[in-house]
Amino acid sequence: MMLRNVWAVIRREYIQRVRTKSFVFGTIAVPLIMVLLIAVPIVIAGRSQDDERHIVVVDRTGVLQGRLGPELEELGWTVEPEPWTPDVEVRLRLRADDGEILGFLMLDDETLEEGVATFQTTVRPTPVRSLTMRSAITRAAMDYRLTESGSAASMLSGGELRIELLSDAPGADPDEEGPQFAVAYMGAMILYMVILIYSVAVMRATLEEKTSRIVEVIVSSMKPWHLLLGKVIGVGAVSLTQLSIWILAASLALAAGVPTLMSARPDLTALVDVQAALPSVGMLALFACFFILGFFMYSGIYAAVGAMCNTDEEANQAQFPVVMLLVGPILMVMPIIQDPSATWAIALSLFPLFSPILMWARVAAGGVPAWQIGLSFVLMALAIVAIAWVAGRIYRVGILMTGKRPTLPELWRWVRAA
Amino acid sequence: MIEDGFAVRLHGVTKSFGKHTAVSELDLDIPRGTICGLLGPNGSGKTTTIRMIMGILLPDEGSVSLFGGDPELTRRTKVGYLPEERGVYRKMKCVEFVTFLAEIRGIPRAEGRRRALNWLERLGLPEWAEKRVEDLSKGMQQKVQFIGTVVHEPELLILDEPFSGLDPINQDVLEGIVRDFRAKGTTILFSTHLMDQAERLCERVCLISKSRKMIDADMRELKAAERGGVVVVEFEGSDAWIAGPEVAGVDRVNGGLNLTLADGADHQAILRRGVSAGATILRFDLVEPRLHDIFVRHAGADASGDGGTPVAGSRGGADAWGAS
Repeated sequence: MMLRNVWAVIRREYIQRVRTKSFVFGTIAVPLIMVLLIAVPIVIAGRSQDDERHIVVVDRTGVLQGRLGPELEELGWTVEPEPWTPDVEVRLRLRADDGEILGFLMLDDETLEEGVATFQTTVRPTPVRSLTMRSAITRAAMDYRLTESGSAASMLSGGELRIELLSDAPGADPDEEGPQFAVAYMGAMILYMVILIYSVAVMRATLEEKTSRIVEVIVSSMKPWHLLLGKVIGVGAVSLTQLSIWILAASLALAAGVPTLMSARPDLTALVDVQAALPSVGMLALFACFFILGFFMYSGIYAAVGAMCNTDEEANQAQFPVVMLLVGPILMVMPIIQDPSATWAIALSLFPLFSPILMWARVAAGGVPAWQIGLSFVLMALAIVAIAWVAGRIYRVGILMTGKRPTLPELWRWVRAA
Repeated sequence: MIEDGFAVRLHGVTKSFGKHTAVSELDLDIPRGTICGLLGPNGSGKTTTIRMIMGILLPDEGSVSLFGGDPELTRRTKVGYLPEERGVYRKMKCVEFVTFLAEIRGIPRAEGRRRALNWLERLGLPEWAEKRVEDLSKGMQQKVQFIGTVVHEPELLILDEPFSGLDPINQDVLEGIVRDFRAKGTTILFSTHLMDQAERLCERVCLISKSRKMIDADMRELKAAERGGVVVVEFEGSDAWIAGPEVAGVDRVNGGLNLTLADGADHQAILRRGVSAGATILRFDLVEPRLHDIFVRHAGADASGDGGTPVAGSRGGADAWGAS
């Protein structure tokens, strides 16, 4: 009996939502927007002149500089050519230590034949910059071989850019700092977005049922708590459907798209790195867990907010403090990624309402012991029980209550009386 | 405590909103299998009473029982409730909406859908089954909502102003359905201020005014008790003989007079006076009171502040009314 009730609500909620235009649009549009969000910074970063990127190019072959120089300038590097002498490296290192130049690029016969070059630098270039630099070098080498010697371009594999850090430059950490950072930050943003969108959906649905008074008919036929449960699970199922489609689309695009792109553009072999940096299945599962737990916590709170309000305007005001609970962690993501093991980072990421975003960011940034992840799950589960208890009571009283929004003491009476 | 004979029992139910008393010490017993009309002017507490029966509001004092027991046990499956404010899921298709309402009351989906289609057919909406509720006119939406109220064949129907907003033809259709349910043994409580409808349909009436019960009686008994209240007289000649201690009021209606009798007055005394005064009396008719008149007499007198006349076991009466 109870199961049939709840199941009917879940089913209704799911089918009605999946059918809407906004669901179909969101499912298609969000991945596109994501691609733009990722692509645009890459393009901009490739061109930005904001920082000092003065490098010296030492061309022992004598034929690459003319081709490569303009390309690098195009990518935002300031290029100073330097003829090769036996002591050139020593001199350039001194200049780099003085901060006069960022670093220097050494091109030799190996570059012509294999596309391999060495970039000695004081600051590790971002993955995008090293990728574009490598591509430029490979292109220059191929261009020379095609026009001058006429040998087949296929002889040149993707090439390699050896990056040597001079002195103890910052960011000398593990290799994949860039992609990991992206996973942590993007993941946190997506978590924030989907938790907020779908929790607000629960609030709106609650408010709509309340203002249309349909809820009076529904709760005369089933327990308010069952209605709330069905609603949260139904909306949650919709969100998981959407997330699955997104992830599936992304995987397909990468699985099919990257090899295609690589065979078409051998100079972009660095895409392999992109592929390698993608979150693993384990990370995806973890992501899903953080989302589900976060959604249950926040949708409960949002349902209570919806139940205590009478109009959209009221609800928008009342949800403000709740949004802050989600925005706060987002502001902390950057510092936490840089120092994921600081005591304050650990403490904040264990606070259940912050855990979905902050613990995720820490895990993605690396080095979080398993017990901390486990503990955050336990704490979130406890938080869900507590929220369900309080929010369920507020919901029960609120959905049938008209008149002005309750004050905090009144809310407390609702919780105790129900 | 098994009181099997009653579908609904309210005992000493009181509900206040702030300083305003919406319902005051209301007792109401509705025997199973009857149609009971809950009558009263606007703001008299009808909807508040119904909402307390449905558990949407909790009474401040007093108790509610359904089918002789705890309402929580039976309300969810045995009761069909049509609220005054019509709420629907606007984006749902009509048949899905009704099926959903059947499902949450425990009817399997296939069966619910079959019933939904039958009912839509019966109420003349078969071609709207697959249309969204929001595409329907208000009256049609109301019919869909009514279907949602009865689709699980409840034993108790509670309808808050079920007929308002419907055209006469659809009012008749709904009335017919209510009678059909009555014939199957369903108990029906509905609120209305359409007196003609109540008069045709109800076996019991409960009149509430200013949060208090004025009348709660079997319709036939009520009419018997109220009979003798009005005499229609048509005559030729002087009307000087009309006035007397038995006559409490006179209304002039097309060609004759409606005399409202004083309490306990002997109407034959008026007739004798007329005859002895030499009037040619064409008609002297003790009429069965219309519910409308009973309503106006009790609610109206109440409204004017001089108290009503409790009839047939009603509680309360001419006390000071709660502020409204």
